[in-house]
Amino acid sequence: MFWRNVKNGRLQFVCLFVAFGFLPVMALAQYHPKDTEWPSYAADTAGTRYRPLDQINASNFNDLEIAWRIKTDNFGDRPEYKLEGTPLMVNGALYATAGSRRAVIALDPESGELLWIHGEHEGKRAGAAPRQLSGRGLAYWSDGKEERIFYVTPGFRLICLDAKTGQGVPSFGEDGIVDLKRDDDQTISAWNEKGEWVPNLDTGEIGIQSAPVVAKDTVIIGAAFREGMTPKSMRNNKGYVRGFDVRTGKRLWIFHTIPKKGEPGYDTWLDGSAEYTGNTGVWTQISVDESLGLVYLPVESPTSDFYGGHRPGNNLFGETLVCVDLKTGEPKWHFQLVHHPLWDMDISSAPILADITVDGKPVKAVAQPSKQGFLYVFDRITGKPIWPIPEKPVEVGNVPGEWYSKTQPIPSKPPAYSRNGVSIDDLIDFTPALRERAKEIASKYHLGPVYTPPTVSKLEGPLGTLTMGTASGGTNWPGGSYDPETHTVYVYACNSCIEPIGLVEAPKEVSDIRYIAGVAGQQVQIMHGPGENAGADSPKPPKKRPASQYVRLDIDGLPLVKPPYGTITAIDLDKGEIKWQIAHGETPDVVRNSELLKGMNIPRTGQETYNIGTLVTKTLVIAGEGHVTTTADHPRGAMLRAYDKATGKEVGAVYMPAPQSGSPMTYMVHGKQYIVVAVSGGPYSGEYLAYTLPSAGE
Amino acid sequence: MKGLLLFAALAGVLTPFCLLRAQEPAETRSVWDGVYTDEQAKRGEEVYRKECAACHGEMLTGGESAPPLTGGAFQANWNGLTLGDLFERIRKTMPLSKPGRLTRQQNADVLAFMLSINKFPAGKTELYRQAEMLKEIRFETKKPAPKNRLVFNSRAPGNQGSSLDRTPFFRAWS
Repeated sequence: MFWRNVKNGRLQFVCLFVAFGFLPVMALAQYHPKDTEWPSYAADTAGTRYRPLDQINASNFNDLEIAWRIKTDNFGDRPEYKLEGTPLMVNGALYATAGSRRAVIALDPESGELLWIHGEHEGKRAGAAPRQLSGRGLAYWSDGKEERIFYVTPGFRLICLDAKTGQGVPSFGEDGIVDLKRDDDQTISAWNEKGEWVPNLDTGEIGIQSAPVVAKDTVIIGAAFREGMTPKSMRNNKGYVRGFDVRTGKRLWIFHTIPKKGEPGYDTWLDGSAEYTGNTGVWTQISVDESLGLVYLPVESPTSDFYGGHRPGNNLFGETLVCVDLKTGEPKWHFQLVHHPLWDMDISSAPILADITVDGKPVKAVAQPSKQGFLYVFDRITGKPIWPIPEKPVEVGNVPGEWYSKTQPIPSKPPAYSRNGVSIDDLIDFTPALRERAKEIASKYHLGPVYTPPTVSKLEGPLGTLTMGTASGGTNWPGGSYDPETHTVYVYACNSCIEPIGLVEAPKEVSDIRYIAGVAGQQVQIMHGPGENAGADSPKPPKKRPASQYVRLDIDGLPLVKPPYGTITAIDLDKGEIKWQIAHGETPDVVRNSELLKGMNIPRTGQETYNIGTLVTKTLVIAGEGHVTTTADHPRGAMLRAYDKATGKEVGAVYMPAPQSGSPMTYMVHGKQYIVVAVSGGPYSGEYLAYTLPSAGE
Repeated sequence: MKGLLLFAALAGVLTPFCLLRAQEPAETRSVWDGVYTDEQAKRGEEVYRKECAACHGEMLTGGESAPPLTGGAFQANWNGLTLGDLFERIRKTMPLSKPGRLTRQQNADVLAFMLSINKFPAGKTELYRQAEMLKEIRFETKKPAPKNRLVFNSRAPGNQGSSLDRTPFFRAWS
């Protein structure tokens, strides 16, 4: 069967290659996903990425072979090289977002056969979207009778599909769609050619790439924006969070991540800055405790990642973990991880809900991984830290007009699981000569521990603050995993993602913000959205410009800091202690083949990347590599690795043709366990790979 | 007629060698052979700043939504492929909001800029803007051994998989 129709300007195409006769008949009672399924982005709404499956284990991981694979090139008008999705597998079908159109596909989980595809053609609205491409996934809901799939398009529309057919559900919103740019307690706006801030649903900046979360009968959606290092204005749309009825699409509640006048937290924005400051969305995964009826919102940074002079005050709920009521959105408690954010330490991943035992007492906890390498652990009912998180004095900077918090909360337990500052001791030390060269480079920057503030970039130095654990450090969007049997968090972290943060004065025609990210001696460059501001009337570059001041933060390709470059850490949540930590990933080619290290025996270093997600099963922690390597054991490619979850010892690895770009998931169908992972990057366009064990006799 | 036959026979014998000779220099070229000019890289820098830096960063080190265009991970991704592959990747998918907006010349200039930042040497001729021709230039992370040290035995130890081991026979004719 095949049909295609045009409705209300929206082209919807649905291909049904097979009838759904193979699907089991749904029971009329409420559908309860089994632990052999993967019904939510992170396996469940607690953010665990855990399934208690054990068919694939230490004894046979190396035997895994590809059961099926699907390239995503044709799910859009051009191939995509950044496939970040994690599929769902529930009730006999696998669902995923795919391709540059962010299409939704349904596949047979055993064969990979395409069952249906759904795509939305949004024109200009998608072209101007701040978060494009295939996104990270979707959400599933069933009442035991109806089955629905939810996702958000690049143009910021919430789509509700019939999971059996891929057709829109007419009773949801307007013909299956809720326009998320409307009914948002603000008028989504954009700058026009005259420099006026005016309503514009096409180009008004707001969108999302994460998967919606469905809990009970509510679907919850956050908001994302462009990267905020050099915004053109201190004013932007705000990233409120909303809950919608899964059946009707009716808005049930909204949470103002920047409080409105009269709401708690408004007074943390001095000089009325809450009125114009934007961003502060929840762009990553939201977690929900359905039984408690509580939602956990990891909120990102306010407008202008690295300069906060136009938003004096602590800026609630920027970089704050907020707990709200699932039915009403009413705030229950909050904890601000970073006061007056200046380091782009968005809370970047799903809060992990964990039932643990501390000092012999059961505690319902929430553990929040972070870019800064701290795992913040709270009682998830009260918000009280499980172990003290005292306010400690931090360096106060001297950027003109900036407002500084003199203290920041630093967890006493568990210890930081990745580097979150740069000192001389962190620099490369394979040889004394390399250390000296690294020191010379580092001498151009201001160094310091976590929360060392950005500096104004000066030609004579410092060029900026050399930071780690900021924009791309520690744990980013893939987040961690949690083993509910052993009360252990497993979390990947980039341990070498250095970020130089320098500020330069922004010319008025570039931004109304006083300072934006930049380097002294280089032309001020607004980091606008891709393609934006490139038209005929955009500001002309100056005729004369200073010479480029590229300072390479590596030494002949070797990372400036010493290994491990990327790690997986196991953290005992009952004790708040690190159980083990390993370098994850083959030593990069540039290090392994370096002439400077010839003859040296370098243990595996791990890799410098920030987007690795882990999967936990009954016995294993599984994660792919984020870099391509070419070794004596395998051609150019990356490995999907398995570790004994008790010890961190590697027990197996299988080849992937490209790096892991979306987090792995697992499920079981007809007695066989599968692992599905998204790979892409560099020359390799997006592909989902499904691994399984050989059948008997193969 | 006899002359024609002789010509045809000669052509039949010589043409393969001519073709091989014509291909020979291209087959051995890599990014280490000065395949772009400084001037072109400067033009590319202008385009890069306007069109690419927003996502890939002022220093090509990447951002949250775009990978780095310099450094070990970038080079490992493209090692052993050709500039044609990289050029087509840029041309077909970038800039994200409107792929194909840049001209082939602009794309070639940006590629030249990327090569300069990755410390591949500049030369006297500009980088081509035709993907087919760029496919004849290999992206090699490691500088190949000097040509006068060419090893004729392609199975010689240390020469396995080398980019040079497919061409020595034909080099003898040049």
